Amino acid sequence: MSGFICSRCRSSLRRVLRAQSRSINSSVRNSSPEPLRNKLVDIDALLSKPTWSVRSLLPDPDAPPSEEITPAKLHHLLRLSALPLPKSLVEEAEMLKTLHSQLHFVKDIQKVDTEGVEPLRSIRDETEEGVKEITIGMEDLKQAFEKEEIKGRNRRPRRRRGYMVDAQGVEDWDVLGTAGEKVELAGGKYFVVRSGKE
Amino acid sequence: MARIPPSVLRRYLFGGHLPTGGCLRQVRHCRPTAHSLSTKRYHGTQVPSANTESAGPETTIPFRKQLKDEAKKRKAEGTGKKSKQDSQKLDSWELTVGIEIHAQLNTARKLFSAASSSINDAPNTHVALFDVAMPGSQPTFQKETLIPALRAALALNCEIQKTSRFDRKHYFHWDQPAGYQITQYYEPFARDGHITLFSHDGIAAEDGEQVKIGIKQIQMEQDTAKTISQPGEIHLLDFNRVGLPLIEIITLPQIHHPSTATALVRKIQLLLNAVDACVLGMQSGGLRADVNVSVRRRDSPSTSSNSYGGVTGLGQRTEIKNLSSFKAVEDAIIAERDRQISVLENGGVIEGETRGWTIGSTETKRLRGKEGEVDYRYMPDPDLAPVVIGDDLIEHLQSTLGVLPDEEILILTKEYGLTTKDAMSLISLNEGGRVEYFRNVVDEYLAISSEEPTEEVGKLCGNWVLHEMGGLANDLADEENPLKITSKGDSVIPAKQLAQLVQFLSLKKITGRTAKKVLSELFEAGLTGKEETAQGIIEREGLWFRPLSDAEYDDLAREILDGNTKVVEEILAGKEGKINFLVGQMMRADQDGRVDATKAREVVRKLIEEHR
Repeated sequence: MSGFICSRCRSSLRRVLRAQSRSINSSVRNSSPEPLRNKLVDIDALLSKPTWSVRSLLPDPDAPPSEEITPAKLHHLLRLSALPLPKSLVEEAEMLKTLHSQLHFVKDIQKVDTEGVEPLRSIRDETEEGVKEITIGMEDLKQAFEKEEIKGRNRRPRRRRGYMVDAQGVEDWDVLGTAGEKVELAGGKYFVVRSGKE
Repeated sequence: MARIPPSVLRRYLFGGHLPTGGCLRQVRHCRPTAHSLSTKRYHGTQVPSANTESAGPETTIPFRKQLKDEAKKRKAEGTGKKSKQDSQKLDSWELTVGIEIHAQLNTARKLFSAASSSINDAPNTHVALFDVAMPGSQPTFQKETLIPALRAALALNCEIQKTSRFDRKHYFHWDQPAGYQITQYYEPFARDGHITLFSHDGIAAEDGEQVKIGIKQIQMEQDTAKTISQPGEIHLLDFNRVGLPLIEIITLPQIHHPSTATALVRKIQLLLNAVDACVLGMQSGGLRADVNVSVRRRDSPSTSSNSYGGVTGLGQRTEIKNLSSFKAVEDAIIAERDRQISVLENGGVIEGETRGWTIGSTETKRLRGKEGEVDYRYMPDPDLAPVVIGDDLIEHLQSTLGVLPDEEILILTKEYGLTTKDAMSLISLNEGGRVEYFRNVVDEYLAISSEEPTEEVGKLCGNWVLHEMGGLANDLADEENPLKITSKGDSVIPAKQLAQLVQFLSLKKITGRTAKKVLSELFEAGLTGKEETAQGIIEREGLWFRPLSDAEYDDLAREILDGNTKVVEEILAGKEGKINFLVGQMMRADQDGRVDATKAREVVRKLIEEHR
């Protein structure tokens, strides 16, 4: 690579490096490298010292466990998720420890400033073309409109009944095959659920 | 044995008339007795005789009228002490109600699977893999469900959001296979609507002529499975209903009286039916209401921080679930309001809890308190794409909604001269068929006689279509729909014949009594399949009105005067009013209704002058 850079390129490079160094400075919590001056930055030197470690995502093993999750709260959370409650205090302590470290991780992530940023729900085509493709308009519903008729002086649309809905491939499978308990009565076949205490 | 209302009993005892038809729908519309073709019924406490010697100046009050007057007096007085106490309490406390309505959409398929929607099909026959949350199954949004949903939102004047998204509401229950319900919590498809209720919709008198209730939002969501509980804590599950599309309509807490709340639910059901969005009503379980009730003191400025949808300063609210009829809505709100007022007046505090109501109880019951409050952990559903609604679709649906009930009532009252009450009865009968039939009759009438003003014709035909035809009864007629009125406006009595009959009556070519007789015959003919015309029946039975000749008037008048010498003397002495009594006697004497009151009065007056 050529060592020669024209003055214009050099000044723009300086500007870019200065901006980068400022942002690195703000995200470092533990140690900060020596402040960068208005000089050409040694990129290799810069990259040789880590400014962040994945270890920051784990709680300090020496620090005492914090009390933010009480056993009552743990039980509430387990009930919300329909998970079984811990069978012994040792198991409970393990659960609390795991939960504590998970919360530490989440708190770390939450430190990022997301002001004005919409949360991502899923990865979809959000371009204009993409949105146009999923827009539901008259064309998409043509068939449904054909199955309606306008009634009376009030000109009210009404869906015609008596059409057979083609549900092939959708409804023709053994629905009750997965039933834990089932029963067949005069009206038809039902799933059975018992709500009494075991 | 069920309690039989006195009016029904009375009609049976005095008129031999058994109740017919859908009584639940026609609460407001009271049908008079059918006129039996054969014998006359004596309703007075005295048998009227041909010569009226025995009748004194005082007329006998018919027994039926006596009972009605007593009932009216009782109603006017109110229930005495209790109503006075209630009104004092209500003066210092203000009730606030917000309503959440869940209504089943009228679609061919479910919301997120292609299984077909059904009402009472064999259980577990319309279930897709996704409906029972089979691992690996994915939701596929059925676009056709948007049509009734958008129509409902447009009928309620909402702003349609171009983009809306689905969220998961997590809770565990055996009727929710996935462990979450897919709803639209953060971004519903319709917001900021309103519905206007008028006094004829049944709102409280305190709300005046009309009241506008705001609608916060309307969202689409899934229905749950049907549970049939059996003794022994066993429950049978039918998953046909899982995944059916529902809309949830959330109103703003701007309702302040229980009857207004009931009127709102009733009107929303009517509107949704009119735009074909939700065609099953509360009675079939297709529409359910949850009610939020709170009270606050009227005088003192509110220091509470409770607010909802922009309405501030509200008291702590409780939610009442499981309301399955209009009356239950009204009764539950009244019971809860009274309970909250008594708790607060005794220095207590209202808990934000969920309560239930069973029909026939006097107080709501606590279902779960704040500790049992479920944390739904709402999260956007990542499997479903956002719903983007095209402008062309919204415009088309808006322009093809049709004439809505409010506008229809306006047309019926302004153009056709009906009263609001009659108009409302008319549109609610036979699923819109009765009003179609009525308008057909008016059209036929105007075809025969085009000079008469439409309002007059409308009033006359309205009376006949609603009241006279409504009172027809026959053994051959079917219970549900005796007049066989279709939604197109056809009936067992052709519109043309009724129009002709009514026109004859209007021209005084037949008497009212004759007209009713011919109507019954037309009804019978229609039921037995015979072709009859009004003209034909009148001609055949010689029912044309023959007015009395002058000689006959004279004779009749003389007869009456001879029998009432005392009254004649009173008239000669100056009591002019007694002439009406004599005219009345004349009309009663001639049982065919051929006496014209004005002519009779002239003749009587003339004869009395002769006596002077």
